Amino acid sequence: MLPSMILKPPLFFRGMTFRLKSRGISALECILICCIFSPVLINAEEQMIPCNVHTEACIFSSAGRMITLEITPRPVKAMQELQFKLTIIGSQIHKLPFIDLGMPGMTMGPNRILLTPGAAGTYEGKGVIVRCPSGRKTWFAKVTLPEIWDIRFVFDVVY
Amino acid sequence: MSYIDPLYFVFLTAGITVGFGHCIGMCGPILVSLSLKIRKKGTLYPHVLYHSGRIITYTALGGIMGATGSFTLIAAHIAWLQKIILTGSGLLVMVMGLSMIGRTPWGNRFKETFPSGGIITKGFRKFFDGTSSPAYFPMGLLLGLLPCGPVYTALLAAAGSGMNAGSIQAGIIRGMGIMACFGMGTLPSLFLVAKLADMGWLKKRETIYRIGGFLMIVVGFYFIVKGIRY
Repeated sequence: MLPSMILKPPLFFRGMTFRLKSRGISALECILICCIFSPVLINAEEQMIPCNVHTEACIFSSAGRMITLEITPRPVKAMQELQFKLTIIGSQIHKLPFIDLGMPGMTMGPNRILLTPGAAGTYEGKGVIVRCPSGRKTWFAKVTLPEIWDIRFVFDVVY
Repeated sequence: MSYIDPLYFVFLTAGITVGFGHCIGMCGPILVSLSLKIRKKGTLYPHVLYHSGRIITYTALGGIMGATGSFTLIAAHIAWLQKIILTGSGLLVMVMGLSMIGRTPWGNRFKETFPSGGIITKGFRKFFDGTSSPAYFPMGLLLGLLPCGPVYTALLAAAGSGMNAGSIQAGIIRGMGIMACFGMGTLPSLFLVAKLADMGWLKKRETIYRIGGFLMIVVGFYFIVKGIRY
């Protein structure tokens, strides 16, 4: 039953394939179109923690560990150099954390801030939040503590 | 054994993913407009020229970022130029759209000012009619300067890699390499858009030219508004 279905698709699908081909659109192109929308669907399932980076630090705590992320100077503006300070309170980590900047539901390319250790439990790095001409101002900072957490802080920036 | 910067692969891949996840939505309308304007259906030659121009601009910007090692410095200096280009490209697309539906503005005044057989008139007609493939190359060069989030991100990496390079020359090469790879990575998605917009199957071509013309006017207007607000 199953092999015959694979070799001979139902009539509806066969018809659809024919109609699409007659309009110069191949099955490969249809798959590629589906791929365009898949990142949006994947992003929709991820949990995000909103925070106001202009007035306060972003805070997250779980399992005896608390992290705070401060972005300066304030207000946090796009297209200028920013200082990212991550503080970890609680059990210490063995690998260096890092931050990925991006826009929810929009692929913006890799923008990673590598952090260097400072005073006890603090890590700092510099980065730039770029401006999106679409006018959208919501960005996220995904803080990764390798092998422990991935936390997304979501905030608005000033253009 | 020669060493190839892994960032080249990172940004080639980034170009591919950004192309499908971002460029189709943001630059798709321009490409659809240009595709509808190409009268000779099934040809990719104008698209190759357009994207070559775009990638050359990206590469040049990458070289500048790599040389200076500062993204914010250069970005601040070219912000006004990008605003003009965003608005100007909107005007350009709008005029092309108007010419497509046979309503070129200032047509009569243009004819009075310049002789009909002159180089300027011929050049402008070829450019705005979109019948001349080479016109797509300067268009690509110009529109490569359009402000774009993922392009900024790639330029940020080009500046960072320039800062870490041992010399200015090395910084220029690395910056150019990153941006060239990023630009090439965006090609599959944008060629796909061009192919889908080819409309080779449509019998009533004149109808689609009219629709395309109106689409271009809308896209042009959108860009002008974005340019003013940028």
